[in-house]
Amino acid sequence: MARITAGVATSHVPAIGAAIDLGKTKDAYWQPVFAGYDWSRQWIAGEKPDVVILVYNDHASAFDMKIIPTFAIGCAESFKPADEGWGPRPVPTVEGHPDLAWHIAQSCILDEFDMTIINEMEVDHGLTVPLSLLFGQPDAWPVKVIPLAVNVVTYPPPSGNRCWLLGEAIRRAVESFPGDLKVQVWGTGGMSHQLQGPRAGLINAEWDNRFLDMMSQDSQRLRSIPHIEYLRETGSEGIEMVMWLIMRGALGSEVRQLHRHYHVPASNTAVGHLVLEPVA
Amino acid sequence: MSHLDIHSYLAAFDDIPGTRVYTVARARKGYWINQFAMSLMKPENRARWKADETAYLEGWNLDDDQKAAILARDYNRLLDLGGNIYFLAKIFSTDGLSFLQAVSTMTGMSVEDYQAMMLAGGRSPNGVRSIKEGN
Repeated sequence: MARITAGVATSHVPAIGAAIDLGKTKDAYWQPVFAGYDWSRQWIAGEKPDVVILVYNDHASAFDMKIIPTFAIGCAESFKPADEGWGPRPVPTVEGHPDLAWHIAQSCILDEFDMTIINEMEVDHGLTVPLSLLFGQPDAWPVKVIPLAVNVVTYPPPSGNRCWLLGEAIRRAVESFPGDLKVQVWGTGGMSHQLQGPRAGLINAEWDNRFLDMMSQDSQRLRSIPHIEYLRETGSEGIEMVMWLIMRGALGSEVRQLHRHYHVPASNTAVGHLVLEPVA
Repeated sequence: MSHLDIHSYLAAFDDIPGTRVYTVARARKGYWINQFAMSLMKPENRARWKADETAYLEGWNLDDDQKAAILARDYNRLLDLGGNIYFLAKIFSTDGLSFLQAVSTMTGMSVEDYQAMMLAGGRSPNGVRSIKEGN
């Protein structure tokens, strides 16, 4: 039986990708950002997951304004890094897991989650920066990846509760897959940041840390945080944190926090990172 | 979960100081700003845009206000006219600006002051949560 063995949450700031690609991770500015991932890189090298279901948002790369899917699952054999305006990141092509991806797509639709199925797609920093943070700069990614793109750009994005419930449906789908796979779910984006308007640069470390606490304690309360609270308290782009709730919902009612990291700033953004494991 | 009223859901967004939430109303108004910006993902389009910005804009269904704001790189105005920051990023990336550099231009601060604010922990949410509440 395939099973979900762990969840990872991490910000996916594009400047982090640029710092890795340009060899700046030891610079004074970047060192404290990356130091918080040392533990996780060792941990994942030991864990050796077969597949990561990577929840992220596309930043006007694969999707323009023509089509705006709320939840889209990548079922392709592979996904190339997107050219986001300065050439594609120099990272390996992302290998998919079409058997599991299609199984999840079908299962979720039967479970009343009307997924959009993507057969050809390029993936942007939202997906590749988390991979770089956890795996460094390998010649090939040591894991298959199922991209799960969530609309958090055009309002309304899905509610936190809807994200949580999708996570639960993904868990049911994974557990009904006939194959012995170690699957992780990653929720990416956040934490507080605002990239637009006169209020840009907003950071709310207190709120962010409460959110990090609640991911492993009192997590049911996360489900009812309304969009307006993310917007007011964590900046207009802090809404990305609803994607963490897909991961959290997939882990079941109780989790253990294995690792936690928080740092301000990376560019305009507060970086948050968690490694969680389900408690059986 | 109780059902949210869409009108009060949307109205609350206008109560956040210094913020333009990318609602459907903005998305409809700014459709061609964002689609124009998206076209700069392709190297050949970037080259044409750099060679003659005004001529390149003629190829898109933009009004004069929108064209002027694009040419002036007036990002706050572009947000008002329906631009979305991730699409507008294609314009400032083509100009060679980072997110931090471009974002600072919307705050009325110099890049240096903005960067210093971020290094010191960012902008506090105190006083900028709600116009009505003043908190």
